[in-house]
Amino acid sequence: MRRVRAGFAWLLPLALTLLFLLPLFWAGVNSLGAVDAPPPRTVVWWPADPRWDNYAMLFELLPVGRYLRNSLLVVAGAVPLTVLTASAAGFGMAQLDEPAYRRLLLFSVAVLMVPGASVWIARFQILRWLGLLDTLWALIAPAFAASSPLFVLLYTWNFRRIPAELFEAAWLEGISARAAWWRLAMPLARPTTVAVVVLTVVLYWSDFVSPVLYLYDPGRYTLPVGLQVLKQLDPTAWPLLMAGAVLMTLPVIALFILLHRFFLSDHSLAALFERN
Amino acid sequence: MRVASSIRKAASTGGPPGSGYRRQLLLLLAPFVLGSVLLVIVPALFTVAIAFTDYRAVRPPIWAGLDNFRSLAASPMARISLRSTVTFLLAAVPLRLIGALALALLLQSRRRLVSLQRAFVYLPTVIPEVAYAIIWLWVFNPLYGPLNAAMRWLGLPAVDWLAAEGTAQAAIVIMALFTFGEGFVVLLAGLQSIPRAIYEAARVDGASGWQSFWRITFPLLLPWLLVLSFRDLIVSMQGTFTPSFVMTYGGPYYATTYVPLLVYELAFDFFDFGMAAAALVATYVVLMMLILGVLNIVSGWRPADA
Repeated sequence: MRRVRAGFAWLLPLALTLLFLLPLFWAGVNSLGAVDAPPPRTVVWWPADPRWDNYAMLFELLPVGRYLRNSLLVVAGAVPLTVLTASAAGFGMAQLDEPAYRRLLLFSVAVLMVPGASVWIARFQILRWLGLLDTLWALIAPAFAASSPLFVLLYTWNFRRIPAELFEAAWLEGISARAAWWRLAMPLARPTTVAVVVLTVVLYWSDFVSPVLYLYDPGRYTLPVGLQVLKQLDPTAWPLLMAGAVLMTLPVIALFILLHRFFLSDHSLAALFERN
Repeated sequence: MRVASSIRKAASTGGPPGSGYRRQLLLLLAPFVLGSVLLVIVPALFTVAIAFTDYRAVRPPIWAGLDNFRSLAASPMARISLRSTVTFLLAAVPLRLIGALALALLLQSRRRLVSLQRAFVYLPTVIPEVAYAIIWLWVFNPLYGPLNAAMRWLGLPAVDWLAAEGTAQAAIVIMALFTFGEGFVVLLAGLQSIPRAIYEAARVDGASGWQSFWRITFPLLLPWLLVLSFRDLIVSMQGTFTPSFVMTYGGPYYATTYVPLLVYELAFDFFDFGMAAAALVATYVVLMMLILGVLNIVSGWRPADA
């Protein structure tokens, strides 16, 4: 009986895991189908004649190279900025006195509870006023404010666990807060940095709403908008649509699987969330 | 001299020395705090303010009292939108939390490969929204989609998922049930924070697994579940934008014109910023009532004695 239950405990998560992977697998299989023939009506596990050139066709149909470049520029700008602003704020929050910490915690939660749609209109006006409308800066803008209070809190909790004795010697030598943050605290927060980097890459790589709202010039489109353009171009070209979806998804999945240990192992989960 | 005084200060307060240091800390916080105020807090308050004005396109806003709310109440499209948003949230948020909790419970033990299994559970959450919507558009395709193929194989009638109001709404809920990575990770962390000793004591006293879940795990996780459910109301509502935009564009008959898409259409198609803001304020009031309702139920809840 115990054996059966142990086996079940193994099999059930495995089955659910496969269920999660199934749609992704189908997308991959169907991205290799023939564009000029109607798709098969039965579930195909592997195409008889895989058309790898569907992926090349994407680049011919649309300026995918340009979309890719814009997406990479946004990620390259937003990720380092987020790590800097989130970790700096996290350090400030961790080292201030308890009442200030609690006020900032409340502030962060309040920011987290604002629905995205309720900032669209005013942010549009602010970006226009700053002259950033229809530029990639409009997409990078949230990174100046740490992208999400969640990242600030992850750093705060990490820094609060560092024993104060570690800083005391440096304080005696009159170390500045900036040096204490960058030279002492940051090297001790590497797992948090990895987690924040992965989550930020995903956030900006996937961002569909901001380009739809704030960009007009097709030359500045990013990959998510490009995929929508492809869909408007021919909503029945399933193999191409799937190829586009796979092309967008594979990099983030590879990054995520490569680095998942940093935030999904027991040790790192405890490190990310445990408070003292 | 300076060293001596900072030693005294450090020794007396146990904290970092000097007001200069504190000022530097505030400086480190400045980008996050000022940026959040400029990009989130001020825009949100601005939205609340213009909900009470007549504000279209480039004309400056004029005070209009509750006019926008009256026109909203009179607009069938807005009423359908608010109703389908609340229906969506009442279906999706509890199911997402139950899914996240069930998988966190299943994947909490230290087996081999467990962190890889956790990664697979988190995976749909990292798929870019547009790609995710397009993949599901294929899954729900009435002729070629794998979901209908599976239903035919089971002998069930084929369904044109996105063509009828009820099934289109169900489809959007189904899609939302796979992307609860954030809640899953938070609940894993919550489960880890429960000391093992409590479970061992319960087992010694002869408690079954079911009993120890309802008497130990659930009450101790409740604060985490509450915070998550409030956050998930906001996240799930925002998450409807891309599927409704890419897959159905609000149809059929506005059944999937959830509030974010309604706001987008009012503000960026019709340039009626006042109406768009009013729709958001009305939605937020409804969400607050939902949250207060949940808190009310929970505050009356006690682990059953038996």
